[in-house]
Amino acid sequence: MGSVTRTKLMSVMALCAMIGLLLMPILVAIPALADGGAPAADAKKEGGEAKVEKGKDVYYKTEGIVSGPPAPKTTDSEKDYPRYNFESRVLLWFANQQHLYYGSFVLAVPIFCMVIEFMGVVSKDKAMAKRYDQLAYDFIKISLTAYSLTAILGGILIFTFLTLYPAFFQYLSGIFRPVMHIYALMFVAESGTLYIYYYGWDKMKEGFLKWIHLSMSVVLNVIGTILMFLANSWIGFMMSPAGVDEQGRYLGNIWHVIHTALWNPLNLHRILGNMAFGGGVVAAYAAYRFLSAKTDEERAHYDWMGYIAMALGVAFLIPLPFAGYWLMREVYAYRQQMGITLMGGLLAWLFIIQATMIGILFLSTNYYLWQALGRMRGAEKYQRYIKYLVFLLTCGYLVFITPHTIVMTPAELKAMGGQQHPVLGNYGVMSAKNGGINVIITTTVLSFVWYMRGNKVSTVSWAKFGNIFMGCFFFFAYLNIIMLAVYGYYIPANVRVGLSVPQVATTLSCLFFMFALNSVMMKGAKQMGPIEWGKISARSQYALIMLATAFTWMMGLMGYIRSSVRLFWHVNEIMRDNSPWAYTHTVGFAANMISANVLFFWISIMFVFWLGALAAKKAPVEAKAAVPGRAAAPAVGH
Amino acid sequence: MKALMSVGALIGVLGLLMLIGMIFGVVPSNTVRLVEGYMPMQVLSELAVFVAGFTGLSYLANSMGMAIPRFWQGVLFWSFVQTYLKFRIYPPIPFSVRAMYGVVSFVAVFMWVSANEEDWKKFRQPILNVLDANTGFHKALRTLYLILLPILIGGFSFLTMKPSVDEPIELRTVHPAPPASTKVHGKTYTLQTSQNPYRVNLEGKYDQAYSNKLIVEQGMGRLMAPNANPWDDKAEGYLKYVREGGEIFFQNCHFCHGDNLNGRGLHAFAFNPIPANFTDPGTIAQLQETFIFWRVAKGGIGLPNEGFPWASVMPPWEQHLTTDEIWKVILFEYWHTGYYPRTWD
Repeated sequence: MGSVTRTKLMSVMALCAMIGLLLMPILVAIPALADGGAPAADAKKEGGEAKVEKGKDVYYKTEGIVSGPPAPKTTDSEKDYPRYNFESRVLLWFANQQHLYYGSFVLAVPIFCMVIEFMGVVSKDKAMAKRYDQLAYDFIKISLTAYSLTAILGGILIFTFLTLYPAFFQYLSGIFRPVMHIYALMFVAESGTLYIYYYGWDKMKEGFLKWIHLSMSVVLNVIGTILMFLANSWIGFMMSPAGVDEQGRYLGNIWHVIHTALWNPLNLHRILGNMAFGGGVVAAYAAYRFLSAKTDEERAHYDWMGYIAMALGVAFLIPLPFAGYWLMREVYAYRQQMGITLMGGLLAWLFIIQATMIGILFLSTNYYLWQALGRMRGAEKYQRYIKYLVFLLTCGYLVFITPHTIVMTPAELKAMGGQQHPVLGNYGVMSAKNGGINVIITTTVLSFVWYMRGNKVSTVSWAKFGNIFMGCFFFFAYLNIIMLAVYGYYIPANVRVGLSVPQVATTLSCLFFMFALNSVMMKGAKQMGPIEWGKISARSQYALIMLATAFTWMMGLMGYIRSSVRLFWHVNEIMRDNSPWAYTHTVGFAANMISANVLFFWISIMFVFWLGALAAKKAPVEAKAAVPGRAAAPAVGH
Repeated sequence: MKALMSVGALIGVLGLLMLIGMIFGVVPSNTVRLVEGYMPMQVLSELAVFVAGFTGLSYLANSMGMAIPRFWQGVLFWSFVQTYLKFRIYPPIPFSVRAMYGVVSFVAVFMWVSANEEDWKKFRQPILNVLDANTGFHKALRTLYLILLPILIGGFSFLTMKPSVDEPIELRTVHPAPPASTKVHGKTYTLQTSQNPYRVNLEGKYDQAYSNKLIVEQGMGRLMAPNANPWDDKAEGYLKYVREGGEIFFQNCHFCHGDNLNGRGLHAFAFNPIPANFTDPGTIAQLQETFIFWRVAKGGIGLPNEGFPWASVMPPWEQHLTTDEIWKVILFEYWHTGYYPRTWD
């Protein structure tokens, strides 16, 4: 009893230590924040008579005391841009992208752990709870190795900045000086929390201690999120600077520097993106282990793991296009020419590639779910209707990927009679594309609903009415989405932009209402047969690998697009890029570079997975009847 | 169910016959016309009808014991989509887009035929039969493929490598990003915030909602709104400026951009590409008035680097028109096409 109390006490202390770690950077930073930047304070100290120079914030239009040097005017020289016999930008691109991949992964996985651990804690089925707990542990174990690699890549990135872009880095670190150390201390807090969380897993697996452990995962994720928000503030500042005057001089308000026009949309987009990406990577890991599994038990476990990871990833993928839409809207509001460069001008073709990748993500998800129907007895009744879902998805996809700027030979241009095609021209604009993507997402929701009821038959008295209601709901949702897309051509652009709201609302209504209704209908439903975990086709696992690869490729692409929209600016309209590489790469070069980054990431993460597998050792399988199906969890030792 | 499927089959057969007839000229090619303005939905609807038709056909064939093997269903459906895209849609779709659509429809067919294990087995059986070559026929077929495939790939490589005298493909940026501001006749205009000074209500205040009510209605008739005839002698304010803009348009612009503003003017086909089609929803309907102002004032010569290749010979109209005239002609273009300029509020 005494030892339990001591353990409890230690656990509470550990949680307090984590919260202390979380608050430490803020406490340390208070003097710096209160200062508002040393130069101004120094100026005051040096003499009351010293004239205080004021400047006007380029974005907030407020006045502030000039507290920093102007942005350097660089020249194409060894001093400002030291270089190897290689394009410095490409080196930086590579270092940055790899750091981002790993950073996203290690920020996303603890969120999954939190969710899965919570599911385990609240699960009434003990075997199931144990299984969830094991899965969460497996996840965090993978992320632990990746965490070291993230830190190493972060170091490489800083060295690359310092050696190849010293003038730019000096300026940026000068602007963000008040929060630079907070960022570094956040890393200390993140590491400390992660290690306590990981190594305390076994000690805190029961009762009150488990809740303390779960609370730790919340603290861990809060720290991770703050870290990401801080990193986002730099890229937000580079795209849409604020808190400085026209010469780029810091005006003493660090909140303005952080809270730029694009910061919040970037934060939201990145959280969702990281989650979807993390889910994809773990799903691919599970798929790889499934394909190489030697026993039915292993196959069952990794089939289940892949499904959970995919479901979590897709849960965040569904709102991702809407967050992206908000980001683009804010970009247009910030600078029209930036928006046009992105979506109608120089980078428009990259957006078509992006649309293609988004489509692949949803197609892969749907395909996986249809394959998953195959491991349920009783799901055959849905399989013959899949062709209609394929048709809906394909129509939405074709519209979604139709380019506005068409690649064509001069002969084709003449045959077409001009740049604009009467059919393709209509598919190439936003109104149609909003319709296209919403049809795709609604179809994905429908596939999920079919999957959820695959091997069940509702026994509620109003089952027939419920089914008809659901059918009508989906039918009118499609109708509404398509009609709004068509209506978009007949109204002013500012109203048309607003039409995306009812379209999104329709899609989300399907998601929330139909999932809820389906769950109610399937409560106490008659099971036609068990889910036979491990009996899924190999094709489904390739779909998961495709899903993860598409995520990785798309992240690389979108990062490149976001970065290159600044064109020849390091900091948009404040600090010009005068290096020899201040031009936009060709689409082909960019695509090759992204592919190289993706390839390197996957090779290195395979290494991480291999390391994770090395640490694993067999443990007795305890959870026999864990999931509907016969296979039990192959528990991995820790 | 049977009746429904029979109707589907009937539609499928009729549709197919019609399409084949129109391709080979047996049936007049305008029997079922694609109507401009309605084409996008028409195309999707036609494809949906064909899918329903093929489902019905397949069901009937099954019922009669003459089921079409899944492999051939997949191959035929994919071929049908390619045929439809190539021959049904006019003006012709450029190859790059057809290639994209071809790949997507290929993936779609794959997803369909492999959605469940039974279908997938049925689909790949003919392929495995040829590879296994257990019968004489399959052996001959496999040998044939062994000869044909290298020839096809070789031929494809030859055609790809063969020097071509065609003009090269140019990936042109149709809407290059505008500058933040532009200087015309000594005055600087911020593109994000400037407004057309002639888009005003009866009180002389900028009012887009007012002018929006008076534009030509979209749709097939393109009729003028009631009591909104700019050529009425009593027309005042906005409508009067539209008329003045129209006069400027027909004195200067219509030679290239055409009487109907669709880019098919008298001289249009002397240029490559032909001038912009303002009636297309992808041109002025997507842009702010200030963007058009900048493009008209600076012309092809004023396009930024990003707009390379500058395939535009439009003169810099600031050298020929006053600022007021440029704003008025823009007013007319939006009025005539029935589009609203983009705004951000």
